[in-house]
Amino acid sequence: MSGPSRVARFGNTELPPEQEAALRRARRLEWVSLAFLTSGVVVVYLVMGNSQAMKVAWIEDLLSLIPPLAFLLATRRAGRRPSVSHPYGHHRVVGSAHLTAAVALLSMGLFLVFDSGSGLLAGEHPPIGTVQLFGQTVWTGWLMIAAMVYTGVFPVILGRRKLPLARDLHDKVLYADADMNKADWMTAAAAIVGVLGIAYGVWWLDAVAALVIAGSILHDGVSQLRGAVRDLLDGEARTFDDSDVHPVVDDILEAAHSRAWVDRAGCRVRDQGHVFHTEVFVVPVGPLGAEQCDELAEAIGRLDWKLDDVVVAPVGALPPGVRTRPRAATES
Amino acid sequence: MKRWIVRVFAVVVGVFLLAGCSDLPRDPDGTLERVRSTGVLRAGASGSEGAVVVKDGRVSGPEADLVEGFADSLGVRVEWRPGGEQELVAAMEDGELDVLAAGFADDTPWADTVAVTRVYGAGKVGGDDVGRVLAVPLGENALLVALETYLDRATP
Repeated sequence: MSGPSRVARFGNTELPPEQEAALRRARRLEWVSLAFLTSGVVVVYLVMGNSQAMKVAWIEDLLSLIPPLAFLLATRRAGRRPSVSHPYGHHRVVGSAHLTAAVALLSMGLFLVFDSGSGLLAGEHPPIGTVQLFGQTVWTGWLMIAAMVYTGVFPVILGRRKLPLARDLHDKVLYADADMNKADWMTAAAAIVGVLGIAYGVWWLDAVAALVIAGSILHDGVSQLRGAVRDLLDGEARTFDDSDVHPVVDDILEAAHSRAWVDRAGCRVRDQGHVFHTEVFVVPVGPLGAEQCDELAEAIGRLDWKLDDVVVAPVGALPPGVRTRPRAATES
Repeated sequence: MKRWIVRVFAVVVGVFLLAGCSDLPRDPDGTLERVRSTGVLRAGASGSEGAVVVKDGRVSGPEADLVEGFADSLGVRVEWRPGGEQELVAAMEDGELDVLAAGFADDTPWADTVAVTRVYGAGKVGGDDVGRVLAVPLGENALLVALETYLDRATP
């Protein structure tokens, strides 16, 4: 792990104390996640046997290693300063990591839906035998359920801790990770139902549980892919959970409109990963000095720590596709 | 958070209660129950060096002894059906056999078609050291557990 001095920035953006603390805690939580998930992967692998539901749950555990890794790599890479060869900094690494995780989820989800579905259609009866444990012969199904309780409880706690940090850092990879962690108990519960089905001789319950888990992986993959692609296509900046356009966009427009020398104004704000790249186009009332543009850019930069790369451009006419009015005004 | 802990406890307690039920796991097709009620264990035997000997319709060898011992532990008798390995596996798939003794190695390619037990002992196939296993119908887990429990007691 690198020291706080190296990670306390995203490109040229010095993190405020609150974000710096959040980043440190998030990195620590992700290391804890990696350690725990690895132990879970080993435990589940040892007991999974022939249960399809356990197999799918194991692969989900394996997949859930990707977001923490992506987060740790991305926050490290995003700390690099912009240079002539990378004039926008390295923030896009977040988008790439996000896309990678999404594609992994999507493809694995598709495979597992197919794998579990064909097992169900073929009527495969899962055989689960015993192991010798302290001289006792124990049905492996009970161990599977114990392993699922182990892997199902802790991630929920981790996910709840990560969620507020994802908001503070505006980190969508961390958000995706937290969201998956929070849903982990459902995977565990479904796998337990599957194994209990086998215990009661209801062989198909295992395959059905596997399908349910595979479906949730697929669903995660689709929604993550949507968000990742939107950001890579330079969609308008949205909140960390993609639920709405980021409110700071309205503040930017209000700041621009509040200047007496501004006749009309529009802005494009895109999410580069953690930080935004903001372009404000202004049609001035009359002749304009550079210091007026600089003053507006600085004022906008102070609105939010994420707004460091702000360009104010005086133009004769606003370009197409820019937001010209705060949403509160457009919606009413 | 608190509600969570309560739920987890409920699951854990539930698991232990279930673990206490000695009639779990059950067979989807009720094989073990049928063996007990009819008093007959239908066993397939395919000759395999060091494991099963089939001579003039009579079955013997260490693996045959294990199957006989398992039947004894259930209080039932064995009805042997000698045959080729592939034929017997197909018969087991069709539900005509309950146990199969054919000197299977633990990496047997039949493992997708029949359920194999844990390794009960060592053997040789074509000069290679292998672990020996018996087979039961796929997914008949009560029978599998009963057989493995017996093998744990009967073999060192």
